[in-house]
Amino acid sequence: MANYGMAFDYKLCINCHACEVACKEENGIDLGAKNHRLWIQEEGDVEGDFWNLERDKISFMQRQCQECQDAPCLKACPNGAIYIDENGIVRLHKEKCDLTLACMKACPYDARYIDEKNHVTDKCIFCADTRLSRGEITTACQITCPAKLRYFGDLDDEESEISKVLKARKHFTLKPELGTKPKLFYLE
Amino acid sequence: MQKIEISRRKFMQGSVALCVYATSSFSTTTSSSKLSNFTEENIPYLCNMCRNKCAGFARVVNNKVEKLNPNKYFPKSRNMLCPKGNAGIDALYDIDRLKYPLIRIGDRGDGRYKRVTWDEANEYIKEKLVTIIDEEKDNRSTLAFCNGEGFNKDEYIKFFGSKIGSANFLDEGSICLNTKLGATQLTIGDVGEMDVAGSDYLIISGANRYESLITPDSVDMIHSSQKLVVLDPRCTVTALKADEYLPLYPGTDLAFCLSLIYTAIKEKLYNETYVKEYFKDFDKLEEHILSNNYTPLWAESKTHIPAKKIEQIAHQFFKAQRPLYYLGRRSVWSANDFQLRRAMVLINALAGSVNREGGIIFGKPFTLEKEEINEPYYNASEGRFDLDGIVYGSQKGGSWLNFREKVLSNKAPYPVRAMFIRKHNIMQNMPNIAKTKEMLGKMDLVVVLDTMPSDTALMADVILPECTYLEREDMVVSFNRLEPSLALRNQVIKPLYESKSMQDILKGLGKKLSKPLFDISAKYDEDLQDSIKEIGARKSFVEGGYDLAELYKENTTKRNQKLIKKQFGDDIYNSLKTKGVWHPFIEQEKELGNDYYEYYPKEKRFYTVKRDYKVHCYLKKLKKSGFDPMPTWHNKYDFILPKDNFRLITGRYITSTQTATTNNAMLKEFQEKNYVWINDRVAKKLEIQEGDSLVLSSPINSIVIQAYPTNKIAPQVLWFAHGFGTSSEELTNAYGKGASDNMIIEDKFEKIYGCATMHETNITIRKL
Repeated sequence: MANYGMAFDYKLCINCHACEVACKEENGIDLGAKNHRLWIQEEGDVEGDFWNLERDKISFMQRQCQECQDAPCLKACPNGAIYIDENGIVRLHKEKCDLTLACMKACPYDARYIDEKNHVTDKCIFCADTRLSRGEITTACQITCPAKLRYFGDLDDEESEISKVLKARKHFTLKPELGTKPKLFYLE
Repeated sequence: MQKIEISRRKFMQGSVALCVYATSSFSTTTSSSKLSNFTEENIPYLCNMCRNKCAGFARVVNNKVEKLNPNKYFPKSRNMLCPKGNAGIDALYDIDRLKYPLIRIGDRGDGRYKRVTWDEANEYIKEKLVTIIDEEKDNRSTLAFCNGEGFNKDEYIKFFGSKIGSANFLDEGSICLNTKLGATQLTIGDVGEMDVAGSDYLIISGANRYESLITPDSVDMIHSSQKLVVLDPRCTVTALKADEYLPLYPGTDLAFCLSLIYTAIKEKLYNETYVKEYFKDFDKLEEHILSNNYTPLWAESKTHIPAKKIEQIAHQFFKAQRPLYYLGRRSVWSANDFQLRRAMVLINALAGSVNREGGIIFGKPFTLEKEEINEPYYNASEGRFDLDGIVYGSQKGGSWLNFREKVLSNKAPYPVRAMFIRKHNIMQNMPNIAKTKEMLGKMDLVVVLDTMPSDTALMADVILPECTYLEREDMVVSFNRLEPSLALRNQVIKPLYESKSMQDILKGLGKKLSKPLFDISAKYDEDLQDSIKEIGARKSFVEGGYDLAELYKENTTKRNQKLIKKQFGDDIYNSLKTKGVWHPFIEQEKELGNDYYEYYPKEKRFYTVKRDYKVHCYLKKLKKSGFDPMPTWHNKYDFILPKDNFRLITGRYITSTQTATTNNAMLKEFQEKNYVWINDRVAKKLEIQEGDSLVLSSPINSIVIQAYPTNKIAPQVLWFAHGFGTSSEELTNAYGKGASDNMIIEDKFEKIYGCATMHETNITIRKL
C-alpha cells in the first residue's frame, strides 16, 4: 500500500532517451515509435539568427501518464475497465477493454497509446506489473537516468525522497486548470 | 515545422491498425515463474555499446536476457545506463547477427557466402596464409591486423603482433583522438584525465558531451554546478545547456585559444607560481604569443566571436578557482588539431589546472600485472611503414590513412597481402570509402571477426562470427585515475548460434596455424635453423614460443581468477564476480540522494600526486621537422570558402555509436536515418525545404541526403551524423537509411600524428 507519484527535476534533462528505451525494454512495449508509455517532449524553439540564438525558450519535458487523482480516462471508459489500484496507480482491467478509445480521447495529457499486441490501451503504470511486482522500489526510467532527475516514491510517506523534495522545492503540475489533480510534479 | 531531427514528439494515435508487431527485446511478462526450472539471476557485466564500458547488471530469466540495469558500484558510470546501453539486448538478439563461419563464394562485397564449420574456415585461412607468408619469405608483416574495440585489443595484438610477428597493427586512434593524447603527453608528460566534476568553470570546444556521452564526464556535467562555456559551429544539446554559447566558424577554435593565452600573458592573469615552477620555455611562449599579436580583436576576425566576449571569458576562466579547458575526445578535425590540443593543455597549465582538483589530473590508476608471453623472434619480419613522414605518430596503432595510401600506391617497402579485421568497420569509419575498398581488393586474404555483417564484413574472404559482449568474460580492466577501480566483464549468457569469443577464435586459429607457420620460419630463418640443429625441432618450437595458442590454453575465467587472486586476493576477485567492480571504498559508498552515489570520499581521491614533470611550451623535434614548435595560426587556417561552397562537419546522435548501432531495432526508432543540417536562411535563399533531397558533392564523391534547415548551424556549414548510409544489405534495419559521411570526406591527414582530418572538406549542394 502506497500512494505513488513522481517528481521531475526537468531542467536537468538532456533528452538522451535512456528513460524511453529502459521503459520499453523493461515493460516489453512493442517496437515502433508510436508505441511508448513515456516520452521526452521538446517544448519551445531556439529562436533567432544563428549568431544570436535565444536558447532559453526551449525545454525538455518528461511526458507520461500524470496519474490523475481525478482521472478523466477513468470516468470516460464506458466499460468501467479503468480503476485506481492499492498503490494509487491508474490501472486497467485488460479483459474489460474493447478499445473504444474513449480513455485516449479523454486524456488531456495524450498519455495512452494502443497496445496492438494485447488489444488494449496502454500507458505508464510505474512498472507496476514488472519491477514493483518483483519487489523493486525503482522504475526503469528512474534508475537508468543519467541525470537522476526522476524522483519516484510514496507521496504519503513523509520520509520518502519525493515527499522531501516536494516540500523543499517549488513545483507545478501540467494543466492544473483542468482539475485532474496529477501526481506527477515538475520541480522549478 | 515538423521536427524530424530533434525529439520524437508524441504521435497522435489514429487508426487501430492491428498489424504484425515486434516486441522490444524479448521482455514480456510471462508466466515462466510457474515453471519448475525457472531461474532468475542478476549478472554484473560491462557494456560495449560504445567505448565507455559502463557497468550494468543483466537480469537473466531462463538463460534469456530480459533487462539491462545500471550498476551502482562503478565510479565511472555513476549508476546509469544510456539509451544505447539499455538497447544492448537488441544487439544481442539482433536477427541480422553473424551466426556461423562463412566463406565467400561471390565477389568481394556482393554478400554471397557459404556456411562452413569452424574447422573449414580455419583450414581455408591456413591454406591462404601459409602460401602468402611462404611467398613473402617469412616476412610476417605482410599480414596487417586491425581492431576497433577496446577491451580485447591487447589480446588481439599479442596474437598477431607478438606471436605471429606482424608489425602492422592499426586501430581507431588515427581516425579518432591521437592528436589529443599526443599533445597532452608531449606537453605535460602524461595523457592525464580531466576532472570535470571538480571544475568550477568549464570550456568545451566542439565536443558534444550531451549527445556523445563519455562517462563520467557527461554525467558529472549534469550533476555539477560549474559554469559551462561551449564553442561550436552548431548549436548542439551541449550548447543548448551551456551557460554561455559561443557560435564560431569551424576550425577556428585555435584562434580562440591563442587569444585566451594572449590575454592571460598580456594581463598577467596566469598562475605565476605554477608557471615559474613547472613551465619550460615560458619566455619563448610569451614572446611568440605577444609578437604575433593574438589579441581578442584578432581572434574575433578569425572566429566570429566578439572580442569583448573573448576578453570576458579569459578573465572569468583565469579568475576561477578550478577552471578546466576540456581537451575533447574523438575526431581530429583540422590540420591544426595537434597544436589546438596543445593550446588547450597550455591554457589549463597557465591556470595551474594540472595535477589538482578540477584540472587535468595524473591520479593513481591500478596497474595490473601482465601475463608472461613467450614471443618468437622473426628475423624476416619487417617494421611498420605507415609512420614514415609522420613526426610522432602512435607506434601502437599507426596511421590508417598513410598506411592505406602507401599500400594503394605501392610505396610500401613490401607487399601487404593479408588483413585480419576485428570489430573495425573500415569500409565506413575512415574518409574516402572508395580507397578502402580498393585497398581490400588488393589483398589475397581478408578475414573479418565481427558480430554483425557490416560493410567491411562483406569484403571478407572468411567471416568469423564473434559473440557479443554479453556472451563472454573478458580480462579484468583497470579504470580511471581520480577514483580508480577494477571492473570485470562477466559472461551473462553463453554465446548464441555458433559464435565464439575472440580468445576462442584465436585459440582455434592458433592451433591450426602454429605448426605450418613454424615450418615456414624453419625454411627461411637461419637462427631457427641453427636452433633446430642444436636442440631439435620440437624443443625449438616450444622454447621459441611458436605455439600461437599458448595464451589461450586456459579460458579467460581461469586466467582472470589466477591473475586477480594472485595480485589482489580472494575478496577482490569475489567482488568482481558478484558486483562486477571493485574499489577500496565499495562497502562504504554513500548515497547522495535519488540513487546517485559518492564513491571515493573526497579526501581519498587522487587529485594531486607526487610527480616530477614539466610543462613543455616548445617542442624542438617539431621545429627540426619543419613544423611549428608552438601553437601558431596560419592564414591557411582561415575560414574562407570558394563561392557557393559549404564546409562539411560531422558528429553523432545521442542514440548512435558510429556504424555499430544503426541496425539496432530499438535505437532506430529514435533516429532511423540522418539528415543534413543547413542554415535556415541559406536554405530559404536556395529554396530548400525540410525533407528535400540534396546532392552533396565533394571533390571525391557525391551522396544524396535529405535536408533539415535549422537556425542552429552556421551559414556555409553543413552537418550530418556519422554512422548511416550503410551499404550492406545484410543489415536490414540500417541498409538504405541516410547517407555516409566518409563517402564524401576527403582523405587528408595531418602530419604530426598521421590522423585523418575530418573537417577539411568543402561541399557544393544541388537540389534533386
